[in-house]
Formats: sequence, structure tokens, C-alpha cells
Amino acid sequence: MNPHPSSCSNGRSIRTRFARRFLRALKKIGSKGSSSRPSPRDISWRCRRVKIAADASMASAVGPRRVWSRTMLNMLRSRSHACLHASRLGNSRRPGADRHAVGKRKRLVLKRKLPNRLGLNQVNQLRRLVPGGEAMDLDILLDETAHYIKCLATQVKVMRSIVDYCSA
Amino acid sequence: MDMSDKDKLELDNKSEDCMNYHSSHLPSDWQYDSNNIANSSTRLIPNEHPMTVCRGGLSAPSCSSGSMANSFGPTVWQHSQPLGFNGIDVNNYASTSNPLGFSRGVPGSLRNVVEPGWEAASSVLKGGLFLPNVPGHSLSQFPADFSFIERAARFSSFSAGNFGDMLNYCGDHHSVRPHLRGGTVMQCPQEAFHGNVMKSVLDGQPQKDEITVAGMAMGATLLGGHGPTEWGPSKNEGSVERSQGVKMCGNESDEAEFSGGVGDQEEPSLMDTCREPSSAKGVCSKKRKKSGQGVESEQANGVQWPSDEAAKANSEIQHTGDQNPTSVANKTTGKPGNQSSKASDPPKEEYIHVRARRGQATNSHSLAERVRREKISERMKFLQDLVPGCSKVTGKAVMLDEIINYVQSLQRQVEFLSMKLAAVNPRLDFSIEELLAKDMFLARNGPSSTLGFSAHMPIAYPLLPPSQPPAIQPALPAIGISSDAMERNVTSHLTHLSSGYKEPTPQLPNVWEDELHNVVQMGFSASAPLSSQDINSGSLQSGHMKVEL
Repeated sequence: MNPHPSSCSNGRSIRTRFARRFLRALKKIGSKGSSSRPSPRDISWRCRRVKIAADASMASAVGPRRVWSRTMLNMLRSRSHACLHASRLGNSRRPGADRHAVGKRKRLVLKRKLPNRLGLNQVNQLRRLVPGGEAMDLDILLDETAHYIKCLATQVKVMRSIVDYCSA
Repeated sequence: MDMSDKDKLELDNKSEDCMNYHSSHLPSDWQYDSNNIANSSTRLIPNEHPMTVCRGGLSAPSCSSGSMANSFGPTVWQHSQPLGFNGIDVNNYASTSNPLGFSRGVPGSLRNVVEPGWEAASSVLKGGLFLPNVPGHSLSQFPADFSFIERAARFSSFSAGNFGDMLNYCGDHHSVRPHLRGGTVMQCPQEAFHGNVMKSVLDGQPQKDEITVAGMAMGATLLGGHGPTEWGPSKNEGSVERSQGVKMCGNESDEAEFSGGVGDQEEPSLMDTCREPSSAKGVCSKKRKKSGQGVESEQANGVQWPSDEAAKANSEIQHTGDQNPTSVANKTTGKPGNQSSKASDPPKEEYIHVRARRGQATNSHSLAERVRREKISERMKFLQDLVPGCSKVTGKAVMLDEIINYVQSLQRQVEFLSMKLAAVNPRLDFSIEELLAKDMFLARNGPSSTLGFSAHMPIAYPLLPPSQPPAIQPALPAIGISSDAMERNVTSHLTHLSSGYKEPTPQLPNVWEDELHNVVQMGFSASAPLSSQDINSGSLQSGHMKVEL
């Protein structure tokens, strides 16, 4: 019945793929930083890089099959291009700003008090949360949300285990 | 003669296996071969939700058994099938699903007698409750089996009130196989239930009488406890289960089975059309199969179905050979004008047939809308399983809220973990061993993390502040997340029983520790209490979960 594959079997392969890519990216990031005690600015920069690396590796691990992964890859690509151009022009663009702005929009939406019979508020919120959700039908959106949740959970697990391993 | 004849004729039309004329065998013959049904039903496994599959499923047994070979074909036979049809002996009939072999022609004499009842029945029992006009054969060949039972079930659901008369017969024919009887009885749709026609029909043949009784009994049981106590336990449970199945599949399968059953004696192709969701409900505006449609619709309209049951077992989404669940546009049956063209669909039809519910608009738009809603609700159910702590939540809005919160919390966790990784990153030198080790960690962390998380979800939510791109040292961003992460760390450490951590480069202030402490105390009774003192002092105790800052 269930068209969705079991999370275990799927998660393991996605998990492994994500883990490999993420670790590779982390290596690159780690090699860039200086070994001396990093300044807060360096740390925040690295944090952003790590976040981007996590998103990118997850999206690439999923592949272009999913709308949200495609959207995320396109977003990252365009963002990196914009960053390149911006840096060339001398502006330092913060890739995390988009997310921040999105969060603000979400908060504003929550303050509406209109009767919410069909859950339209939540649906709009969900559209903003899930990458690429703006242009999807509700049933596809829910599908994508389920997959996105699964991948996010995998991401969290992998990252946490990396952190644990590194800290141990 | 009539009923048995018809049965025989029908059997003749089926594969030769069906031709099993053992009059005396009747009871034993009707043992349901669940394997057959299951096998055949599994042949056509739709991708859709089982709910939708049910609709076709109910008709499946008839097809698989080959007796009444519905055109529904071997759709997946969901809940009700294996339960209900114990008594039916599918083996007697072609095990392979045969196309409905409606007898081509009902002998004139027979028709005259059965016409009034049969035509009505045909409208109801499209699915293949066809009584072949086989003269001189006993009733045992009655190919009722599943299709009959289903139809009887449906039938009974539709005309709950009419079973009173029929129940009277129940006691008399205890030994008679209800399925068998029911099948034949079903063929007289509305009238049968009213008891009049059946009686008249029954009067003619004692066998029919049994059948009617059986059918009535089945109907009675299906109606939810009219208590055909006369029937054997197997029958009862079969019918009860059927009724359950009917109720369960109420939305889906229902009438389609009935439809096209009896009436289309002339048309073997009806079996094919049986796939179509031709509801027995007369009121349903959906059309039957082409053949018996004219007659059926007349009679169907004449019947008064109990609204509750009928309403329940209304919409039916059938999956033909190629399920195409996403093709809303493919719903041909929804169109009011196309009813007659549905018939004789090949098994490999790609359309999803939707039948309008009783009392609902039959506009194609509303039908498509309904299918879409069902899809959405199905996905919401799946999401409910995915998001922890949502099993008790009902309602779309609340569920969506939970989902949104969960997604937000996951995203914030990722942010927080990336922060942590950035903090510890320069110390690390990733290598292959790390990968392998991480895989091991992952395997262990999986269940524990989930458990920890689910326990604290309600706690976590209020703690999650809006996430911002954090600077690590200044005011702690996402304190809530840190609490979450800490909890999960604790959980994971619980599983590992790591002896403790060397403090990483101390960057996170103690405020987090307080937060964590609160959260942890709330959630984790099992975990060792984390105190900021412990963390600060760095005194690690084995078995205690240390929050890594």
C-alpha cells in the first residue's frame, strides 16, 4: 500500500551517501581554517559553510528525484554564483540571510488570526519551509514534506554522530 | 429450474473448471479457497492506498474464483475477502480468474419468470451474480462464492429494511450455504430484498428458496447483526467479516460488485464492466455497465436503499490493470454522460474510476476533488506516522502545525549541529576510519535519538527561539535547539556509555547548560542529572551523560 519506501532501507543508503559527502565537505572546510584558535568571526563563517555543506550534501545525496532536493541544489548553486559575483564586486553576501528572512516571514504569518478552516496558514508555512514548496499541489507538497522530514532526520543523526565522534 | 438453470448456464460460460456439477456437493463445494483468491487478487495490486483497493477487492474473489468472474478482475483482495468467504469453494470453479461468464442467453421461459426480479437484481448485482440459465442443474454449481457474497453484502447494506421477510427463511435452511444462496438471491436486486420477488421466485424452485434464504441471511448479517444464527459459524463470520469488509471498504468497493451482476445475463462483457464501479444503488447517478444499464438503472432507481449503508459504501475507486492514481483527469466514470461507455474495459485500463457517493454531486470536478482530498488525507496519515508524537492528533490544521514545528525544529537542529561542528572542526582530521566509526554510531544512534526526541518534542517546542545565524559566543542563539541537541547527545551517550568527553574548545557559555539542565530534568529521568558544575569542572563520571558544549 504504502508507496513510500521504508525509511530504514532508504535512510541507510541516503545516510551513507550524505555522510560521505558531508565528511568530504567538512574536510575541505577544516583544511581552510587555521589551526590556531579561531576567532568568532571565523567560527561563524565556518558555521555557515558547514550548514551549506550539510544542505548541499544532503540534496545531492537525494538526487534530482525530489522537488525539494532539486530546488535546494538550484538555490545553492545560484547562491554560490551570487556569492562569487558579490565577492568579486567587493560585497560580502551572507548566504544565511535568505533563511533568516524566510524565518521572519514565517513569524509574521503566524500572527494572523483569521479562521483557519482548511489550514491554509499552515499550508503556506509549510510551503515556505520545504524548499520548492511554493509551486506544488498540496498532495505533492505533503509527499515532499514527508521525504524532507526523513532526510532532515537522517541529516541530524549523521551530524550528531560526527559531533559525538569528534568530541569523544 | 430457473435459478439453478441460470447458474448452470453461467457456469458453462466460465471455464471448464467451473463446470462442476455436483448437486449434492453444494456445501462442500463452497469452501472458499483463499489461496485462489489471494493469488488472483494479488495479480492486480494497485499502487493506491488499500482503501481504494478495497473496492476492487471485493469483486476480486468472484473473479478469482472464476465463477462469477467479475470484470473487476483480480484486484487486490483486502481485508474482507479472506475472512468472509470460508464457505465458498473456489476450487470448483476456475481457479484462474475468468472473465465473467455471463450466460449468453437466458432461456425465454426462465427469463419470463425471473425477469422482474432478475432485472432488478441485475442492476444491483452487476458484478457477476449472474444466474446462467442452465436447465436441470442443481444449485450447487451456483457460482456465487465471493461475488455473490459481496453482492449480498452490498445488497443487504442497501436495503436493510427489507430483510425482515427474508430472515424468516433463515432458520429453515440452516445447512444451506449462505454464500451460495446469497449469490443467487442477490440476483434479484431490489425486489429480492423486499422479499416479494424472491418469494415468487423461490416458490418456483425449492432451491431458489434456499438461496434466497441464504442471501437474506447474508444480507441480514451484513446489515449488522440481524443475527442469522441459523447459519453456521463459518458463514456467520464470513458474512460478518464481509460486512466488516464492506464497511471498511465502504467508501470504495461497494456496489461495483453488485452492479452488473444479474441483469446482464446477456452480456458476458458485463464482467468486464463490472470493474467499473457500478454501484447497486439506484440512486447513484453513476452509470452501470453498458449492457444492463438501461434495465438496471430503471430498477435501481426503484429500489430504496438504506441511506446510511449506501452512503457509506459509495465512492469507489477502481484500479484497473494499470493504476494511475495521480491521473485525476483519467476518471472517466465520473462524467455523467459516459456511463455507458465504460463497459467492457480491458483489464489494462489506465483510468481510475470514481463513483459518486450517494447524495453527492456527480460533477466530474467534485469527483476529482474528492479523489484529491482522499489522497491528501492519506498522505497526512503517513506524515502522522513520521512525525513523533502525532498519533493522537486529529484534524488537518493541528497536524499541519505539528508538522511545521517538527520541520522547523529539525532545521534548527541542523543549524546547531553545524555550529558545533564548526567549533570542533579544526581539531578533526576526517578519515576513512571516521566514516566507518560514524556508521557504527549512526546505527546505534538511530533508535535512541528518535526516542529521546519524541519524548521531548513538546518540551522542545516552546524552547526553540527563532533561529538566527548564530555567533557562537554572544547571546546564545537557538537555545532551545541546544537543549534539544543536548538531550539527544545525552540519549546517544546513554547508549554508548561513553566515559565522557574531553572538553572541546570552550566556547559555549554556561547559559546553555542551564537551559539544558532544565530540559533534561524535564525529560530524562533516566539520564544522570547534568549539572553545569559537572560540565564546568570537567569531572566526568562514567555512566553520566555529559553534555558537550
